[in-house]
Amino acid sequence: MVLPKAVRDGLLKIAKEKKLFLEGNLLKIIEPGTDDPAFAEYLKICKERDISSRKKRLEVTKQVQSQNTALGHAMGEKETLMLNLQHALEQAEDAKKEAEQLRDAAMDDLDLLQKKTQFELINIIVKVALVIIISVGIIVSIMYLFAILYGRETQIIGSTWSNLLGILLTNAFSIVGTIMGVKYATDKH
Amino acid sequence: MLIDDENLFHLVFEDACSILDMALSIEALDSSDEADRMFQKWFPEDINHERPQCVFVDLNIIGSSFDGIEMIRKINHEYGNGCVIGIISSSQDQVEIEKAKAVGAQFWIIKSDEIEPRLEEFKKDYEGYRTKSLPFKVYK
Repeated sequence: MVLPKAVRDGLLKIAKEKKLFLEGNLLKIIEPGTDDPAFAEYLKICKERDISSRKKRLEVTKQVQSQNTALGHAMGEKETLMLNLQHALEQAEDAKKEAEQLRDAAMDDLDLLQKKTQFELINIIVKVALVIIISVGIIVSIMYLFAILYGRETQIIGSTWSNLLGILLTNAFSIVGTIMGVKYATDKH
Repeated sequence: MLIDDENLFHLVFEDACSILDMALSIEALDSSDEADRMFQKWFPEDINHERPQCVFVDLNIIGSSFDGIEMIRKINHEYGNGCVIGIISSSQDQVEIEKAKAVGAQFWIIKSDEIEPRLEEFKKDYEGYRTKSLPFKVYK
């Protein structure tokens, strides 16, 4: 496209007085015309300035774009770190719960062990007591039997045997009951 | 025409094209839906409407209903074809490249900080794409 002379003169004047030049892709379609070195030079300067400013803008835009990309990556990494952190926290929480469960189980086991030991001890004591009671019962009965067989005085030993047997039977039933209770409790756990 | 959701890339692309003297005018859109509406308006209602000589489409266009490959498929198969068309993306995914090729993309330009050498190479090949004599090419 060749510009009319008045426009061409106006553009040259503005460039000379105000240092204002045409810019943009419009420059690519403007022809200087024949035998017009001044306007050809003007268009050349315009194109050089346009390319120069575009190059500057391109560099700046690229820098901003690059920074944006880096920022995006950093944000992505931050999000990944946050997710990892959250995951680690969840794992720690799970581990804490598991540890608490194990602790509770261990406490239960310990409690059970203590009870079992106590029950076993009671069992032994009760059995020993039962053995003693039966032994005393047998010995007194033998003594009473001897007294009857050999015609000795039986009044004291007879009443003693009677009282003792009553007491022993009462205690024996009590002890047997205790043994059964202990056995039941031990078996249950 | 450039269809890319990244507005900053519009500036990069326009300046690079201007410096390389590739195009006088570039219509930069940030949504494939907008481009779709434009092509729908031209085809078939206004089939003689001047359409872009060349269309560069981003692969993933955030905020749009469909991606670049679907956009290319629509232009090539629903809107009468008629323009040089391809993908401009930072992705180098071979599967996506093959998909683009299958829907009729003629080129794949990989976006990076140094886009000018690729555009310059593309400019040299442009005539081949226009005449459909050049095979699909990836600009790395």
